[in-house]
Amino acid sequence: MNLLFFKLKEVLSSVLPIIVIVIILNFTIAPLDVSLIIRFLIGAALIILGLAIFLCGVDIGISPIGNAFGSTIIKTNKLWIIAIAIFTVGFFISIAEPSLRILASQVDFVTSSIISKESIVVIASIGVGTTLSLGFVRILYNIPINKVFTILYSIIFILALFTSREFLAISFDASGSTTGAMTIPFILALAHSVSAMKSDSKASEEDSFGLVGIASTGAIMTVMIMSIISKTDTSTVSLEYNDPIFTSIFSPFIQQIAPTTKEVILALLPIVIIFFVFQTLSFKLSRKVLRKIVMGLVFAFIGFVLFLVGVNGGFMEVGVAIGYSVATLENKVYLVFVGFFLGFATVLAEPSVYVLIYQIEDVTSGYIKRKAVLIPLAIAVGSAIALSMLRIVVPGIQLWHYLLPGYLMSLMMSYFVPKLFVGIAFDSGCVASGPMTITFISAFTRGAAEATEGANVLVDGFGMISIVTMAPLIALQILGFIFKIKSKNGGIEYSNE
Amino acid sequence: MSDFEMIEAEQICIIVNFGLGSKLLQIVKNYDVSAETVLLGKGTVNNRILDFLGLSDIRKEIVLMVANKNAADKILEKLNEEIDFEKPGHGIAFTTSVRLLVGTRGNQSDNLIERRGVDDNMYDAITVIVDMGKAEYVIDAATNAGSKGGTIIKGRGSGIHETSKLFSMDIEPEKEIVLILSEKDKTEAIVSSIRKELKIDEPGKGILYIQNVNKAYGLLK
Repeated sequence: MNLLFFKLKEVLSSVLPIIVIVIILNFTIAPLDVSLIIRFLIGAALIILGLAIFLCGVDIGISPIGNAFGSTIIKTNKLWIIAIAIFTVGFFISIAEPSLRILASQVDFVTSSIISKESIVVIASIGVGTTLSLGFVRILYNIPINKVFTILYSIIFILALFTSREFLAISFDASGSTTGAMTIPFILALAHSVSAMKSDSKASEEDSFGLVGIASTGAIMTVMIMSIISKTDTSTVSLEYNDPIFTSIFSPFIQQIAPTTKEVILALLPIVIIFFVFQTLSFKLSRKVLRKIVMGLVFAFIGFVLFLVGVNGGFMEVGVAIGYSVATLENKVYLVFVGFFLGFATVLAEPSVYVLIYQIEDVTSGYIKRKAVLIPLAIAVGSAIALSMLRIVVPGIQLWHYLLPGYLMSLMMSYFVPKLFVGIAFDSGCVASGPMTITFISAFTRGAAEATEGANVLVDGFGMISIVTMAPLIALQILGFIFKIKSKNGGIEYSNE
Repeated sequence: MSDFEMIEAEQICIIVNFGLGSKLLQIVKNYDVSAETVLLGKGTVNNRILDFLGLSDIRKEIVLMVANKNAADKILEKLNEEIDFEKPGHGIAFTTSVRLLVGTRGNQSDNLIERRGVDDNMYDAITVIVDMGKAEYVIDAATNAGSKGGTIIKGRGSGIHETSKLFSMDIEPEKEIVLILSEKDKTEAIVSSIRKELKIDEPGKGILYIQNVNKAYGLLK
């Protein structure tokens, strides 16, 4: 059994739930076009294959680069070199992130180009670079993670007081968007490489997590500051989506190939450049290791292209169609329930989720089991989507009604929960809002909003990602709490005796 | 009676694919066994195509436990039944002798039971500890000398000379532990190949030691 086969098996079981749910919906409350269903199945096959190849690529390509980079940079033992290097890396990987650019072009559109696409991408990337290097320095100086998050989110909430309602949603969405499937494995490996050297093994376990969460706050803050300074309100233009209607089965996939390839090349480019610059300067890896990493990058590239083509070509329209037909049903309770199940199943097919879980297993030597993380995460994302649907159905609910209590609660919990779980929780928030959720669930939300009277596609469309990012914070810290209680009672391993 | 009397105990080391470790623990739970520990490692597959693609690594779980000889035999028989080590890719299991066992609830009274069968004693377990990133070279050197592969475990820590402080964190260099099982007649070739390639004899380049294997399952001829 080799690595690829192993990954295929793993991925197959994680993509199956979403396939089953869509097919059940097709035969019950949301009948779909036959050609749509066929495309959905082709898309699912591409996703399974792509995800397996991509995860192999992460294992042998991206993670080793992050590891090598982290352990090389730290040996300089000079704070300013480390801070600048990490800032630069954070800036470039975030500027190349496809989902950030999608978000930026939407912002550009709704503000009638008062805030241009380029400026938002650059400014959010500066934010990510700053917080990434802050988070890295935190590991070096052993600053407690819950305090860092308390400070960062306090700043965010003060800024939020001055931010308009629409921009609140956009800036919180930015946090989920800046950390994409290419960035997360790299940042996780970076955190792991430094923490692994610590001689205090408990700290070394804890500090392997949390860096992704810290990095993502940079985007929230900078986008908020930008909206306050430029004093823009979103104009009232309604966002028109004119999705092309495809009648043939294969053409939507073929049309996706070129733009997706460009996107993935761009996203990989900073990591490749970092690697080759450092390889010539200081890594000096042997040819064998070098070849392996290059192979890994090729795998990551091919896998991710396949994955995105599958999602965009096969899943997006299905999402819109399901959202639309469920929302037109008389009973709105259906929408909330379907939202829950879709969210639950979608997050299982999210690429970065597996990268995070792999690292959790690795760092804790399998003490925290895969299922123990996956189930709360899936329930959290399911609930998040259900809450988003509720927001569409009940116009009175505003985004901050969710975010404020949610974040307050998770910050408070971070003082009672083992630090390891605080880091994991904040990381998993960003991990959950990956390409799968952003495309498929966004499409579903859009479909539901279009079919609901009084719902604004724009206002209700933005904000969904921010709830998805927030929900795991609570769920995984609850898990941490359970672990804490159980280990007090004497061992987790045999707790079922 | 001194604590240091010879006891008839054995350490069992089982290397299986990732995910089977907990199942193993469940199986052996009913036996008189102690110190069950699960480690994560990675193993290599000998396949030229996979090697070219860079896919030759596979995640493994290493389960260590200590039992008296009699129980160890029973456990291995039972595990062999459940896991079927003889099939390729199902994992391997082997035992090494333990001289002293402290801190277990184990009842040493029943270690007088006479043993069935003879130990194979055909294999050696070679353990090499090197700096992070060097494990691949160890495996390469061993494979060139006729080894079937090996298992790599990540570790940390070192001799007294190597701890240092960067900023406010104490640093211990990362290490890799390589486990290789070899047939007795190949051991010498493998060891000398590793010594030559890794320059183990120079200070700070790592250490290597060999243990006798009492019983082994799942090694392909």
